[in-house]
Amino acid sequence: MSGDSVSTFQFLGLTFNTTNIISGLLAAIIVVVIVFAFSRNLKLKPTGKQNVLEWLIDFTNNIVRGSVTNGDAPNFGLYAFTLFLFIFVSNQLGLFLQIGWNGVTYVRSPTSDPIVTLTFSLMTLMLAHFSGVKKLGFKKYFKESYLTPFKFWLPISVFTELIDFLTLGLRIYGVIFSGEMLLKFIGEMAFSGGVGMTIVAVPIAFIWQGFSLFLGSIQAYVFVTLTSVYISQQIQTEE
Amino acid sequence: MLSHLMLGASNSLYLGDMLLYAIVFVILMWVIKVVAWGPVTKMMKERADRISNDIDSAKKSRTDAEKLAEQREEALKNSHAEASTIVSNAKDNGTKLREQIVASAQQEAQTLKQNAQKDIEQERKDALKGAQNDVASLSIEIASKIIQKELNAQDQKQLIDSYIEGLGKQNESR
Repeated sequence: MSGDSVSTFQFLGLTFNTTNIISGLLAAIIVVVIVFAFSRNLKLKPTGKQNVLEWLIDFTNNIVRGSVTNGDAPNFGLYAFTLFLFIFVSNQLGLFLQIGWNGVTYVRSPTSDPIVTLTFSLMTLMLAHFSGVKKLGFKKYFKESYLTPFKFWLPISVFTELIDFLTLGLRIYGVIFSGEMLLKFIGEMAFSGGVGMTIVAVPIAFIWQGFSLFLGSIQAYVFVTLTSVYISQQIQTEE
Repeated sequence: MLSHLMLGASNSLYLGDMLLYAIVFVILMWVIKVVAWGPVTKMMKERADRISNDIDSAKKSRTDAEKLAEQREEALKNSHAEASTIVSNAKDNGTKLREQIVASAQQEAQTLKQNAQKDIEQERKDALKGAQNDVASLSIEIASKIIQKELNAQDQKQLIDSYIEGLGKQNESR
């Protein structure tokens, strides 16, 4: 994909990538449609769709509750739920839908671009640090996060935060990007050398698509889990 | 990856994308909250409340039922006691009544006996009186007969015989 040309445009002095915008908005719209459809006609005695939605909410709530304790978990339930759905849909989007035109791919997984995953990572860490400051007060937050166990631990702590930010974002990017690239490669292979290659490539494509589906789900889960871990690190004192 | 980042950097980093994604994410969060998260969590909470309420009320109704059963049992016991007192009362009344009846019958028999005795006595007295009257009238008759005739032994004998004869006649006629 790095070989592809990208379509960008300038707006208000900022550079925008058309692909990311279209894909991201599409993912967001899909999430909204799913959630909207599943949350119609809510009943006290849940049926079908409502069960699925409630199971999802319980799922993400349990992820948050796994690391964030002391009754803070409900505050991050919505964030985790939205993050999980958005990343999940983003991961799977490129597996089913890749629209390219004139050598530019317009629709693919938004998470196969590091800028997008790093944005999520940055949001998570900002939320974590903001929650830490809000809960403990700036002084205590600073002491807990950077000056523990010793004062001269500060550079290492700062570096750790940077590493957290990068690994959280690049992990998911790596998996999704490589998955899509391989899928694309298999697709190109299928049309490169006659009927024989196609017959060989189709099952491989199927297998790889299934595996990517699995990887995308796992990555969404991992991202939300790490998010809650980072949040809990910031809002809980380690004394 | 590196070339991609370099490419991004060379065109100046896609800061717009980052901003857009952050904004889209916040809007998405808000929409989800309004559309699904709010109502569903509310519903889930309602359900949890309902279940706990149901458990409480079930507990309450069970204790109520137990209390009621206890009351019923007590009432049953009471009614048993009442029934036995009623039966014993009836028995008592029966024996009392029987005694009364027997006593009154005895009394009646006594009075009947007394009355009969009285009647018998009366009759005896009447008979005695009648006999006395007879003797008296007989004596008078004898006396008058004696007086009518100057009596000798023969006559006297005749007289007595006639008298006895008359007596027998009188007895027969009677």
